[in-house]
Amino acid sequence: MAILWIMVLVLVVTLLALAVLLKGVLGAARSITPVVTAIDGVAAAASRDLDAVIALVTTQNYISQVVAGLANYGGSLDAALPDA
Amino acid sequence: MELPVAIILLLITLIVLALAVFLIATIVELGKINAGLASVLDGVGEIATKTAPVNGVLDAINGTLVAGRNLLEGLALKKAGPDAAGLVESCFPGEGQRFLARIGRSGTIVPFGEDYPRGAAILGSLLGGPAPPSPGEAQAAAAAAPAAPRSGRISLRKPSPAAVAPPTVPGRLSAKGSRPWE
Repeated sequence: MAILWIMVLVLVVTLLALAVLLKGVLGAARSITPVVTAIDGVAAAASRDLDAVIALVTTQNYISQVVAGLANYGGSLDAALPDA
Repeated sequence: MELPVAIILLLITLIVLALAVFLIATIVELGKINAGLASVLDGVGEIATKTAPVNGVLDAINGTLVAGRNLLEGLALKKAGPDAAGLVESCFPGEGQRFLARIGRSGTIVPFGEDYPRGAAILGSLLGGPAPPSPGEAQAAAAAAPAAPRSGRISLRKPSPAAVAPPTVPGRLSAKGSRPWE
């Protein structure tokens, strides 16, 4: 009979320990969900912000034109100004 | 059935129930996390796709700008000679030493401040004034002159008298008048 009561005691302790541990796991899992949702929002916003990146191609084109104009201007200066 | 046996059975049932409830709840949360991460992955994929050409475009822009800078520095070196580093330093404070390093030279850099007398003299000579001083003379004059306020750009706001005077050659173009086409 005594061993049965010991088993009862062990099972009670086991139940409490399991409850605490599983509650911790569930709490950790629940805390991840809002973080993932927030990251999702940030990623979507960052993706929207990057829509303007395509304008870099236009910038590249403009810079090429500016440098080409600069080269022409430099050629004129080279012809107009005396060398050192 | 004895009381301890009944309690044991009850406790085992409770343990199984607790395991089931908590594990099912955890599975549900992990499912939500999985769905959220899938959505994040889509966003990150979009970001990666949109930023993929940035490196190439920026490299091309940098290459073009470096070519333009080299061209202007070469022109400055050809036209201003030893004054070139001082001119670069006057336009972009701190850049003169790097300019010298790029062209493989060393020496003291004398910034000209806002006015470059030789440049003004060249402008004057183009308009019929006396010949400009040599680059070395201009640098020596700049070194001997009191420090002028540096605003980081070169201006020729004080043209030489030759530049202000009417041109000696009739019909020659001038910034101050004698516009033959009018």
